[in-house]
Amino acid sequence: MSDPRPGRRFDQPTASDERTDDDATLRGAHAYLPEQASTPAPEEEMPSPALDAALAPPRKRRWGLLVLLTASLGLGTLEAGQTLYHATLGGDWLAGAWSALGLLAIGLGGKALLGELWRLRKLRRHARLRERLDDTWPASGEGAQENVEPLALAEALRTQMGIAQGHPHWQSFIAAHEAHHSAAETRELLAWHLLRPRDQAARRLITRMSGETAVMVAVSPLTLVDMALMAWRNIAMLDRIAALYGLQLGYASRLRLFREVLRNMAFAGASEMVTDAGMDLLSMNLAAKLSTRAGQGLGAGLLTARLGLRAIATTRPIAFTADERPRLADLRREVWQQLRRLDDSAQSGRQPS
Amino acid sequence: MPRDLTQEIHNLIERGRDRQLRLAVTGLSRAGKTAFLTSLVNQLRHAGIDARLDLLKPAREGRLLGAQRMSQPDLGIPRFPYDEALASLSGEPPRWPEPTRGISELRLKLRFKTRRARGLLGDTANLTLDLIDYPGEWLLDLPLLGHDFLGWSETQLAAMGPERQRFAEPWRRAVTAHRPDETLDETRLAELAGLYADTLRQAREAGFSHLQPGRFLLPGELEGAPVLQFFPLPGIAEADRRQLEALPAESLYKTLTRRFRHYQQHVVKPFYREHFRRFDRQIVLVDVLGALNAGPERFEDLAAALTTLMQSFDYGKRGLINRLFAPRIDRLAIAATKADHVTPDQHPHLVALIESLLAEPLKDLRYADVPVRAFSLAAIRATENREVESDGQRQPALRGHGLDDAPLLLYPGDVPARLPDAGFWQRQGFTFTAFRPPRADGGALPHIRMDAALDWLLGDKLR
Repeated sequence: MSDPRPGRRFDQPTASDERTDDDATLRGAHAYLPEQASTPAPEEEMPSPALDAALAPPRKRRWGLLVLLTASLGLGTLEAGQTLYHATLGGDWLAGAWSALGLLAIGLGGKALLGELWRLRKLRRHARLRERLDDTWPASGEGAQENVEPLALAEALRTQMGIAQGHPHWQSFIAAHEAHHSAAETRELLAWHLLRPRDQAARRLITRMSGETAVMVAVSPLTLVDMALMAWRNIAMLDRIAALYGLQLGYASRLRLFREVLRNMAFAGASEMVTDAGMDLLSMNLAAKLSTRAGQGLGAGLLTARLGLRAIATTRPIAFTADERPRLADLRREVWQQLRRLDDSAQSGRQPS
Repeated sequence: MPRDLTQEIHNLIERGRDRQLRLAVTGLSRAGKTAFLTSLVNQLRHAGIDARLDLLKPAREGRLLGAQRMSQPDLGIPRFPYDEALASLSGEPPRWPEPTRGISELRLKLRFKTRRARGLLGDTANLTLDLIDYPGEWLLDLPLLGHDFLGWSETQLAAMGPERQRFAEPWRRAVTAHRPDETLDETRLAELAGLYADTLRQAREAGFSHLQPGRFLLPGELEGAPVLQFFPLPGIAEADRRQLEALPAESLYKTLTRRFRHYQQHVVKPFYREHFRRFDRQIVLVDVLGALNAGPERFEDLAAALTTLMQSFDYGKRGLINRLFAPRIDRLAIAATKADHVTPDQHPHLVALIESLLAEPLKDLRYADVPVRAFSLAAIRATENREVESDGQRQPALRGHGLDDAPLLLYPGDVPARLPDAGFWQRQGFTFTAFRPPRADGGALPHIRMDAALDWLLGDKLR
C-alpha cells in the first residue's frame, strides 16, 4: 500500500496566460473621417420567407413524367409523320389515313395539354396577384409604401378577373376612386364595388347548392349514389365559384384548386370548425329526430356549404376582413329550412292516404 | 327647471342606449374647426343624395338616411352659424367662414337603417350628435387649470424661444422695473397687462400658437375687466415661494395671484366644465402646412401646445357606467387639415408629419389603449388635381384660386416626412400657397377624406 499523496500547490494562472487565440482578433478603436463615404449597415435578413417556404406544402416537379410525356408525344408525331409520308409515296391509303388520324389525335391531345398548362399558369398568376394584393396594402396609412400605385393594382385585378372597362361595377369603382385615396382605401373600394356583388352571387350559389345536396342525399336510396352525387355537385360548385372570381378551370387546375380548398379546410379551418362543429352536431341531432335520412342530408349539405365558403376564401382576390366574411351559421339555417320543407311535404303527402 | 330635468333624464336614457355621442372638434385657431363643422353638417345632410361618402360604410351601404339640425340642449348658447358659413362659401367671390369669436353649439340627429331589423323597434334608428365650436385661442387655457400663479409664471417665461423673447422685450423692460412686493395702482397694472397682451398678439401674428392666457387675444365679453389684467412675473422661482406667500395682500405678487386664480376659477373652469369634460370621441385638427410655412421654432411651439392641450381630456375605454356618468374619449382621430393644398402623392408624408408632431400624446394614448388614426383631410376641398407637362416630365399640379381670387396652377412643393434640419430652413423653407374655397352651389361640398374620418369617428355607432 502506497503512502497518501502529499498536497501540492499549483501556480495560479495569470491573466496574460489565459489569453487565447480569440483575443488576438479583438480590434482596437478606429476613427474615420466623417466625410468618408459609407453605406448604411445591411439589416439582418427577415426570417419569414424561409419560414413561409417551410410551412407551404412541399412542391414536387414530376420531371420523369414530363420527359416521358413529351418524348412519347414527339416520337409519336415523328412516327406518324413518317408513315404518312411513306404511305403517300407508296399509295398505301389505308395506312396513310390511320397515321393522319393519329396525327390529329396527337394534335388534339397536345392542344388539350397546352390548354391545361395555360389554365394552371393562370391559377398560379391568380395566387400571385392575391399575394401581392395582400402584401402591398397594409391596413393603415403609416406603413404604406410609396412606390405602390393603387390604381395599377386595381387595373391588374380587373384584367385578372376579366371585367370589361365598361362594366358597371368597374365604372362605379372608378367614380368612387380619387387620386388621393391611399392603398388601403382603394382596397376597401375595390372590395366593395368589384367583389361584393360576386360575393353575394357566390353566397346565393352555395346556399342553393348545399340545400339541394342536403335534399338529394336525404332522398337518394343508395350510399354509392350519395357519394357520387356529393362529389359531382361539389366539383360543379367549385367551378362556378371560381368562374365568378374570373378563373376558368381546366382538369389539372381544378384538381389543384380542389386540393388547395381541401387543405385549407383541413388545416386553416380547424380552429373555425371547432366553434361551428358544436352547432353542426346539434342541428344534425335535431334533424336525425325527423329521420336518419334527414340527419345525413343535413350533414352532407353542411359539408357542401363549408366547402363552398372555403372555396370563396381561396379564390377571392382580396382576403375578407373580419366583418365581411360570410358565416356558416347563416347558411345552416337555410339548409335546415330546406329539409324541413321536404319533411313537411312528406308528412302532408302521407296523411291523405 | 322641470324642463331641464326632463331634458337631463332624456339625455341619460339616450346615452344609456348609446344613441348619443359628443364629438370634440379640437384645434387651435386657424386649424379649420369651423370649416370642418360646416362640411360635416353639409355632408351628413347630403348623405345618400349627392355627397360622395364612399369610405363611410353606412352611407356606402345606403343605410344613412340623412341628418337634421335639432334645437340644442343649452338654450343659453348661440347656435352654430351653419347658414352664415354656407353663405360666405357661396358668396362672390367665395370666402372661408369667419373665424369663430365665441362658443356655439350644434345638435344633429342622424337617421339610419340598422343592419338587422330590431323586431318591434323597426329598422331605423337615430343617433344624436352634439358638437360645439369655439375659438381655438380659448382652448389653450385648459392646461392653465393645472398650475398656480407661481408655476405658471415660470413655465410661461421658460417656454419663450428667442423670437418670442424679442416680442416680449418692451413688456419685460417695463415689468422688471417693479419688485414683487411693490404696490401698484390699477392704471399701471392695466398698462403692464396691455403690454403683455401686445406681446401675445404679436406672437400670434408671427405664427406662434402656444399662447396663454387665451382670453387676452380674444376677450369676448371680458374686454377691459380686471380679471384680464395680470401677467407672469419674471425673476420669481419656486425657491422663494415661502417669502412670496408672506407678502402683504396689496403687493404686486399677491394681486396677480388673486387675479390669476379668479381667471382660473371663473373663466376657464366653467368653460371646461360645461363644454370639455364630457366627450366620447375626439378629432384633433392641426394645420401642419401652416406650421411648416411658419418655420421650425413655431413648429416646435405647436407640438408643445398640442401636447399640453391633450392632457386636458380624459381618455380610456368605456363601459356602461362611465358612459352614463363619466364619459371618456374612447376613440380619437388626428387630422392634418388643408390636405387639398398639396398634391395627392404628398399625403403619406403629411400623415407621417402629424404623427411625429403628436408623438408624445400618441404614446400616452397607446398606454391608455385608445385607438387613434391619423388622416390627411380637407373638409372643403379648394383645389383640383391636374398634371402638367414640363421639361418632358409629367408633374402633378393643383388648380384653384388664390385668396385674391386669381386663378392658380402650381406645384405647391414637397412635404417632408420628418421635420428637416436647421440648415434646410435657412436655405429654402416652405411656402405653401393658400387657396380660396370653391363656390358652393347648393350641392354637397367637395372634400378629401371626410368620409373616412367620419367612418372612424361615428361608423361603429351607425350599425
